[in-house]
Amino acid sequence: MDTESIPKAPILKNDPHQGMGVALAALQRRQKLIHRAKVSAVWVGLVVLLTLGLLMLHIEPSYMAQHYNIILQGAGATIGVSLASITLATILALLGSIARLSSNSIAQGIAGFYVSVVRGTPLLIQIYIIYLGLPQVGEQLSNLGFTQIGKLFILDAIPAGILALSLNYGAYMTEIFRAGLQSISHGQREAALAIGMTPWQVMRRIILPQAVRIILPDVGNQFIAMQKDSALISVMGVWEITFLANRYARRDSKYLEMYLVAAAAYWILTIISSWFQGRLENRMSKAYER
Amino acid sequence: MNAEPVIRVSGLHKWFGMLHVLSNVSLEVRHREVVCIIGRSGSGKSTFLRCINFLEEPSAGSIEIDNLVVNAGSKGKEHRQLVHEVRLKTGMVFQEFNLFPHLSVLENVMEGPVTVKHMEKSVANEIAEMNLDRVGLLFKKDEYPNRLSGGQKQRVAIARALAMEPKLMLFDEPTSALDPELIGEVLNVMKKLAQEGMTMLVVTHEMAFAREVADQVVVMAEGEIVEQNNPENIFKSPKDSRTKTLIDRYRSGGQ
Repeated sequence: MDTESIPKAPILKNDPHQGMGVALAALQRRQKLIHRAKVSAVWVGLVVLLTLGLLMLHIEPSYMAQHYNIILQGAGATIGVSLASITLATILALLGSIARLSSNSIAQGIAGFYVSVVRGTPLLIQIYIIYLGLPQVGEQLSNLGFTQIGKLFILDAIPAGILALSLNYGAYMTEIFRAGLQSISHGQREAALAIGMTPWQVMRRIILPQAVRIILPDVGNQFIAMQKDSALISVMGVWEITFLANRYARRDSKYLEMYLVAAAAYWILTIISSWFQGRLENRMSKAYER
Repeated sequence: MNAEPVIRVSGLHKWFGMLHVLSNVSLEVRHREVVCIIGRSGSGKSTFLRCINFLEEPSAGSIEIDNLVVNAGSKGKEHRQLVHEVRLKTGMVFQEFNLFPHLSVLENVMEGPVTVKHMEKSVANEIAEMNLDRVGLLFKKDEYPNRLSGGQKQRVAIARALAMEPKLMLFDEPTSALDPELIGEVLNVMKKLAQEGMTMLVVTHEMAFAREVADQVVVMAEGEIVEQNNPENIFKSPKDSRTKTLIDRYRSGGQ
């Protein structure tokens, strides 16, 4: 990919120095390739060193090999919860950022309060409140006669996890979205209004598409962080990667083995996400190439 | 020339806080007429133009376009609807072009007809191509704005405004952000539009353009219209001292 981004020398007719430009471009391309090969070699070296180090530690690779399938068993829950949560968090962040930027004092107040409370409390506590605390609220509502509404407050582990992660990341992403929306120049809005667009059309057709490109790298980072934070929902007994690793580690006292397997699983997941993120960013930047 | 004005601005005032930037400005532009507004920076000429399509909400006065009267300072749904109608009847070209960078040249010009007028894509496409051809940039239709020169960007911005088929074109210092060698191509497009009979209100520092193309020249200073006449009279025998200073500076080569 990177080699393609070096512009090829423009071909001028009868340019006596043309050969020089072509040679220079080829040289630059070669140097870039060599540099990338060196960086890759460092990575491979580090992985080999790490593996050798671990082998000296009297751990049982065979035990790890036997139980690597926790990745396959647990990845479904990890990925599923993360995808559902990032989707909901994006919707929350979009609403939150528009509210924070609006001139409506009620909307601004609600959004600011939400961001402050959620950012100011630990995710683990939020999970406990939603999973273990809310049923208490539901119980009291049921006692008051609102049985149907009361039931809504008793959540299963997976919905509770998705709700907690969405609310938590929605708050952080509200700030990201707000900065992204604010970064679009005022002139864009004016030009769109001048051709007769309504404020809603301006947002949907002009501001948002440009803001998305700017916030995409940050949202990608949030998604990667969320995949790792989803490990916290293991406290509710959801069969995801961390929960399964914990189970075997405790049963067989193979802590290092199982946690290394779990760590590798998250690492692989985030590498895959980064790759998709890079592709998406490339596609979005098409209009901005010179 | 049709005597009926396309736009009639009456007694417009604008305050920014305590600052009185427009003071009782009234102006009429008739059908097919080109009116140039000249004046020093800070004379209120850009604010005046931006008040006409309500990008700046005027503090007092009224604007009448095509039998549609909008009173400044009103609020509510009815007022917003009127402002929307005014914006449909006016096209605006900005100093900083403000093309939509995420859309191709063709999509920039199609955006208004498709999103605002809800036209079929194929019809909008035809209108967009026709207007790009008018500004001589049809061959750039698939490029993105980032790859255009400043002059080309401004010509696309003109095509984008024309695609909405406005009754009146507003130009807000359309060449002020351009490198000197790119100014000519934009002025030529504007000249062509004027010859085709487009009604235009142009805020500009280009005295030669005002002198050659305008039917009326309006001189603004300190938020007021200090002189208004045909270019012949303005440039040969300016009456107001501030007009004289402006014209003298233009004659001596500076602007």
